Amino acid sequence: MNDHDDDVPPVMSGRERGRLQSSRLVQYILLQALIAAAAIFALRQSLPEPPAQYQVTAFKLSEAGVEREVTLPHFSSLRHAMDDPPRFTGQFIRPGDEAARAWSVFLPRFTNGVEVTVNGVVVLDSRRDPAANRPDRNTPAIAVIPTSVLHDGANAISIRLFIWGPITGFLDRIWVGPDELLRPSYNLRSLIFVTLPVVFSSWQAILAVILGIMWVMRRHEPAYGLLAAAMAVGVAQAFLQTPMGETAFSRLNVVLISSAPIESGLVLTFALLFSGWKWRHYGWIIFVPGVLLALAGLFGNQALSRVLFLFLAVPMVGVSLVIMAVVTARSVLKRVNVASLLLGCAITIMLTCWIVDLLSVFQFMPNRIFTARLSYSAMLVAIGAGLTWRFARALNQVDGFAGRLVTQVREAEEKLKASFTREEERARAAALARERTRLMRDLHDGLGGQLVSIVALSERGNAGAGIGDAARAALKDLRLVIDSMDDIGGDLMLALGSWRERAMAQLRPHDIALDWRAVTPQGLPVHPELRPWHVIQIVRLLDEAVTNAVKHANARRVTVRIETLAASDGLDRGSITVEDDGKGFDVPPADESAGVAKAARGLRNMRSRAARVGAELDLASGAQGTDQGTRVRLTLPHRFPDSDAAAG
Amino acid sequence: MNLQSDEAKAEAITVLLLEDDAPTLWRLQDALAKAGYQVRATGTLAEARACLADGAPQVLLTDLQLPDGHGVDLIRETRQRFPDTEIMVISILGDEESVISAITVGATGYLLKDAFPTDIAATVRDLVAGHSPISASIARFIVRRTQNTPEPPPGPALNTAKLTPREIDILWGIAKGFSYAEIASHLSLSRQTVPGHIKSIYRKLEVHTRGEAVFEAVQQGLIRL
Repeated sequence: MNDHDDDVPPVMSGRERGRLQSSRLVQYILLQALIAAAAIFALRQSLPEPPAQYQVTAFKLSEAGVEREVTLPHFSSLRHAMDDPPRFTGQFIRPGDEAARAWSVFLPRFTNGVEVTVNGVVVLDSRRDPAANRPDRNTPAIAVIPTSVLHDGANAISIRLFIWGPITGFLDRIWVGPDELLRPSYNLRSLIFVTLPVVFSSWQAILAVILGIMWVMRRHEPAYGLLAAAMAVGVAQAFLQTPMGETAFSRLNVVLISSAPIESGLVLTFALLFSGWKWRHYGWIIFVPGVLLALAGLFGNQALSRVLFLFLAVPMVGVSLVIMAVVTARSVLKRVNVASLLLGCAITIMLTCWIVDLLSVFQFMPNRIFTARLSYSAMLVAIGAGLTWRFARALNQVDGFAGRLVTQVREAEEKLKASFTREEERARAAALARERTRLMRDLHDGLGGQLVSIVALSERGNAGAGIGDAARAALKDLRLVIDSMDDIGGDLMLALGSWRERAMAQLRPHDIALDWRAVTPQGLPVHPELRPWHVIQIVRLLDEAVTNAVKHANARRVTVRIETLAASDGLDRGSITVEDDGKGFDVPPADESAGVAKAARGLRNMRSRAARVGAELDLASGAQGTDQGTRVRLTLPHRFPDSDAAAG
Repeated sequence: MNLQSDEAKAEAITVLLLEDDAPTLWRLQDALAKAGYQVRATGTLAEARACLADGAPQVLLTDLQLPDGHGVDLIRETRQRFPDTEIMVISILGDEESVISAITVGATGYLLKDAFPTDIAATVRDLVAGHSPISASIARFIVRRTQNTPEPPPGPALNTAKLTPREIDILWGIAKGFSYAEIASHLSLSRQTVPGHIKSIYRKLEVHTRGEAVFEAVQQGLIRL
């Protein structure tokens, strides 16, 4: 019940706030006055009537033994007249040419019951219509007069008006004429005063269920429970009939029918809670009139109930309405929201109707059409709209919250996934490092030592220089394999650092200088996806280039250039160039399979290695015999491939 | 590595060589003797200890896996008894496992068993001149130990807490294959000071005593008291 949509900024000063509040109050009051005026204007509109020529207003009234002339509409001063009801006698003329048409008698409004007799024959008794017995409803009555009863010329009509309170008796003008002319007016009144209340009551029943469910699901908001109870009481009241006889069951009926003060008490409490009021222990005062009336209904007689109803229920409804109007106005001023505003307008309409009804009861109005009950429907419309508004807003909030939650969960999931990937990566690296350590120990203890011995022995004998070279190459390769298994964190420069040492060791005996040029300060871009097998392929390719320079080119200097090329697409790519100053050679086409020369095989190997790591290999060489040397340029991919596709 | 030799100085260098593989021992001995160094070749720890009893060599070259023990013990003893002796470990693969374990007990360099004879002689001469050799992979191993990782990578324990940021920068340069000259220019150092920095790094990685080892382990949170 707490709408925190206070649009008054907290930094506003007290005076500013006061001015804003009073200007809002004036606006609100003006709006309510406008609504009240509109309601009064609408109530002043009389309903369409049948042709005036069929209206019968001149009657002779015999009441309590006295007979006098009256003109309808007539207010009886009696509050109870069941045994000796006032009798209105009059006459109407049926022209001779009307005999073919069915004639009816139409009574738009009466309290409480009528019995209509035409030419001594009873044609209508409203007491058998339960809806007509409710004084708070404006039930019309119509009856077709049997043709046999009517005759041309003057016909006698007599109406007995039964009065059982709680208000005084009333008989509006009546019409006697062709049924087809009277019926539309009757139908309209019946629609407004009989059918419409049923529709509203059904609506109320639905609201009772909805609010009941809401209260059951949200026990901490008792306002919903109260409103649901009010709706339920209203529905019970609307569909129960006015008891005519004294039965055990009828006492319950009396209690329910006179439940208006309980209902208004419930609605009042709802409005108070809705506007932020806290329940206080003196709150039960609200229900005193309702309980008193219920007790009277249970233990007293019907007459007592009716009297109490007039003096307890009607003021109770009015007082409730006034309190609600004040409370809602305050609520609208304090927390500007649509629900309170709608409720306030509905209360104004209802209050206006209630005042008009009261005037009509006290015969200040020429007619007796009660609209308070009908205007209650306006309130229901307001409540229904308000609740729907709140519900939709709450759903929007839930949607927004759910949306935010989904985003947060997705973010958390991605973080988790990323951290899981990192963790996996770390575990993989750790496993690789352990494996490398194990392999290193094995090689150190076995193969490595044996190879070293071979190198030493071959040098000693002076005969097996080739064997020594082979053993040294094997050792070099072993070191490469172990080195490449080390986690270099995607920085190929770290692998090239070791390679430089090995290349220098290889070139030194041949008196070839190694010129190492890292052109860009950072060397090569870092590739997180770099794997040991990529490193091995690249280093072996570079080895091949250096070996070619040593064995075939007769070079004096090998230059290694390392740089990062800024590509036009914004993706930086690393580039490694191995250049020698020796004899060049004719570069065989890439697809030539018949590699006769060793150099050709070496070139093919280099091409295949480059392809496996997704790098571009660019070979350039001066023609055989010239001193332009050979240049091997390896352009690394922006991203190394995940799997060794070319090997598969 | 300076290939220009200074013959007069080289003659004075005394080397104690410990290697159990006979062909390798001969090879190393040949390479050093041809360079004019005074070499005593031994095949076991016991022989080497006996030689040390006669006096301190200028350089100790030792293998690690020996028939009667581990070279690390000899390095530690020599370091304690003869602080002026330069110690170098002979490694097959130049891997951090052997090199780092030797450095932590006092070695200041390593030699590959299959190195060419001229390189062997030059390395020993440089070492005596105060230029400790270091490989890219060893430098890489050390700098990676300076990075705080939740779980120490496998391999020998290493305390890098004493290294200065400048020394770590030098190690990074070596790991990435930059020459001393390039490193010196990047870090605004004199080219001649870089080898001295390397030796200083080795010295800082050395664990001098048991007590110090325990102290450092506590400092690094490896041991909880």
